[in-house]
Amino acid sequence: MTAWIDGQAVERDAAVAAAAALLAGARAPLVAGLCAEAAAVQAAFDLARAIGASLDPAAGAPLYADLGALAAGGAMTTTPAEARGRADLVLALGRAPWASGLLHDLAAEGPVRGRAAGRPRAVVALGGPGDGGVQHVAYPVDAAGLPASVGLLRGLVAGRVAGPHPLADLAVRLREALYGVVVVDPAEIGALGTEMLNGLVKDLNETTRCFALPLGDPHQGRAVAQVAAWSTGQGPRVGFGRGHPEHDPWRFDAARQVAAGEVDAALWLASLPAPLPAWTRNLPTVALLGASQDDAIRGDEARVVIGVGVPGEAFGAALWHPGRAAIAWHEATAPRPAASPAAAILAEILTQTSADLRSGLAGRPAPHPEPASC
Amino acid sequence: MLTRIAGGRVVDPTAGRDAVGDVWIEDGRIVAQSDPAVADRAPDRTIDAAGCIVMAGGVEVHSHIAGGNVVLARLLLPELGVSEPGAPNPHGSGSDVGQLYARMGYTTAVEPAMPPVNALATQLELAEIPLLDRGGLCVMGNDDHLLQLLRDRAGAEAVRDLVALNLATSRALGVKVINAGGADAFKDGAVRFSLDDEVPAYGLTSRTILTGLLDAVETLKVPHPLHVHCSNLGLPGADDSLIETLEAAEGRRIHFAHAQFYAYAAVDKDNPLTGGFASAAPRIAEVLARHPNATLDIGQVVFGQTATISLDILRQFSGRKAASPRKWILNAGDAEGGGIVPFRYRDRGPTSSLQFAIGLELMLLSPDPERTILTTDHPNGGPFTAYPRILHLLMDKEARDRELASHPRAATERSGLSGIAREYTFSEVAQLTRSGPAKLLGLSDRGHLRPGARADIALYRDQPDRTAMFARAHRVLKDGAVIVEDGEVVAWSRGRTLSLAVEADAGMARRAETYLQGRFGAGLSSFSVPDAAFPGRAVFEAVPCRT
Repeated sequence: MTAWIDGQAVERDAAVAAAAALLAGARAPLVAGLCAEAAAVQAAFDLARAIGASLDPAAGAPLYADLGALAAGGAMTTTPAEARGRADLVLALGRAPWASGLLHDLAAEGPVRGRAAGRPRAVVALGGPGDGGVQHVAYPVDAAGLPASVGLLRGLVAGRVAGPHPLADLAVRLREALYGVVVVDPAEIGALGTEMLNGLVKDLNETTRCFALPLGDPHQGRAVAQVAAWSTGQGPRVGFGRGHPEHDPWRFDAARQVAAGEVDAALWLASLPAPLPAWTRNLPTVALLGASQDDAIRGDEARVVIGVGVPGEAFGAALWHPGRAAIAWHEATAPRPAASPAAAILAEILTQTSADLRSGLAGRPAPHPEPASC
Repeated sequence: MLTRIAGGRVVDPTAGRDAVGDVWIEDGRIVAQSDPAVADRAPDRTIDAAGCIVMAGGVEVHSHIAGGNVVLARLLLPELGVSEPGAPNPHGSGSDVGQLYARMGYTTAVEPAMPPVNALATQLELAEIPLLDRGGLCVMGNDDHLLQLLRDRAGAEAVRDLVALNLATSRALGVKVINAGGADAFKDGAVRFSLDDEVPAYGLTSRTILTGLLDAVETLKVPHPLHVHCSNLGLPGADDSLIETLEAAEGRRIHFAHAQFYAYAAVDKDNPLTGGFASAAPRIAEVLARHPNATLDIGQVVFGQTATISLDILRQFSGRKAASPRKWILNAGDAEGGGIVPFRYRDRGPTSSLQFAIGLELMLLSPDPERTILTTDHPNGGPFTAYPRILHLLMDKEARDRELASHPRAATERSGLSGIAREYTFSEVAQLTRSGPAKLLGLSDRGHLRPGARADIALYRDQPDRTAMFARAHRVLKDGAVIVEDGEVVAWSRGRTLSLAVEADAGMARRAETYLQGRFGAGLSSFSVPDAAFPGRAVFEAVPCRT
């Protein structure tokens, strides 16, 4: 059994009908999680538009550390493959790069493309824990913290900090590198720290080449940002309450909205693993949960729970590929033809929700698009 | 269902037709009234076209409507992509883009810059643009696999096979090259790069890369010629770059993207970067007349805020200090990457006004409107929604003079626009926006109204205000279905994505698999665009290669 209402196993169609009724009856619904394949995320945006919901991905907070800095000042970035092929200097900022696995790959080889080819690759760290498996030069972060150190480093690189400084040598290394790469998790240094880093990188490019390499979140956030952009013209925290997309990273923060009591129903989409927020049990919620095994879902995670196939496992899917830093096709690794993709469930909910809206809630935005007839 | 579009002025230059008459449609295609299957039947539906101009649906060859850099532009400039109720935004969602094109009578649009490494996301985005048929051009010329083959003198067949593999894997409609080798050179510190400069790490000139791709596209019989973004875009003296590139084609078919941005003759030839520029439109028009193998699209500049988007990261880096507002993105990606530099074409500013004049001049001096296609290189020269006003100015000398009178003298002193008396006819408009781009893309089923054509048709109320006329079509039919009435979308169709039917060589697929696994830790499948990525929909339609 793969569907439940109030913890009781039901037929899937009954759960879909209950989900549609719950969402169609809501005045301020929320669609959250979005930790899923691109087709399901797209379907979630279509559903949100139809029911006037707001959206926020599970990756919202870390994603907006990056997007906030991007919108404030832009960025200069590169990809993991370009870093592996070209970088003669890798700077790991903070703790997160050491947990990513990327540093091991970078430390294991040297640049093979471009003007740095054949040079040794230096790995340096600012404020990280280090790793016995990666030989590197560690630079300390003072009590002001990592973002402030990035600011100081920018000042040193630009020659705006006079006198000796513990990071002066690091500034020289960055200036002298032919293709420097700064690996960072924007969530760790925040939007302001990320903005400062982007400024540092841009300054360095006045005389050499250096790029940021932001680590993606583990919850498909960077794929969601793309689907959001082409679906709404904006980042993912949007609301359709007034029929057209409104972008507001603060207002449509799901955790804030729920805590403030602004939401009366929700849909949680996680066909891939994502931490389930506590509110799915307190707020009338439909949860679409991916499970490799039929018994992996308890059924009491939300008022309505529907099990869906895990993308890239049960069926092929378009997912974020961290190594490629792109949405990429993932073949099924353990095909399960019987597993329902979340996109199909969402399409069914949309169809039934649209019918419910037409019959009971005039004035809601129409589902979009509908087929043309000759 | 048999439909008659009755009593309109039917304009189809491919059939020498410009007269009041009817157009008949059945099963989504145009049929001849003389066809025995039609001749004795009464129409099931009649659309009154009296007082209207009837043309084929517009075809867009170069508009940045999808892809990673379009996404980044929205994220960099959230304020530019805002949608207001009832006011779709050309910088906004794919849905807005589809609506706005359809309202103008366009029914096909091509995204010209689809990097194969980002093909899946680009195709997913294209599929979300409703009302239009769509396509993407895959970009090659800075990818290390291609540069390795050329450096190692692997042979023309290997280059051909790699191009075919990229076309097939990304499900593209054609091939584009953007400042061949320039992005790679930028990563090694270069800030200038011309046709005979070498990519430092490969010892290859831009010319060598270009030639390899020209040959491959011809050998594969790709209907759309190689779509070329030359080096030195936007610089005084860029006309030399365009003409050198044209000569390098040595008679092979070649398409030049956004030629306006190259129609800048250096005023001081000895110091091209300090003396400013004047129009090189007459020179380019003259060269175009002598080279029937060449086509171009314009890249017309219009005024206001926009975001420039390009995979020419060397050029975008050079332009960063003109960013307005002062923020920009540059991604040194796998192959090109991309750059987004916001820019405001200052209304009545001397430089912007001169650029504006040069674009119009290029079209008005055109020896063949089918080979000088209207684009704004959306959003680089401005939004595609400026087309109606541009057509108005092309068709109306008085309106043009009034417009020019309000611009700084640079527009008249450094271009010949004010001295041009030509006014475009409806047939020439159709060549510029329908038959020309359709022929260029090799889409024989559109761009005209002859029997057998897809019933993509635009009806415009014939009125003196050509801007109003072309901004809101009276009716637009897509595959025979009415999708626009009086400038408003009345029915949503999802369109299809056009992709070239080209076979990939199995041997090259194996080589590529090895290369990609080594570089990305992911094989060819990861780069594919399977039907399964679009569940519940049949998105793609195959376009055959030339025979």
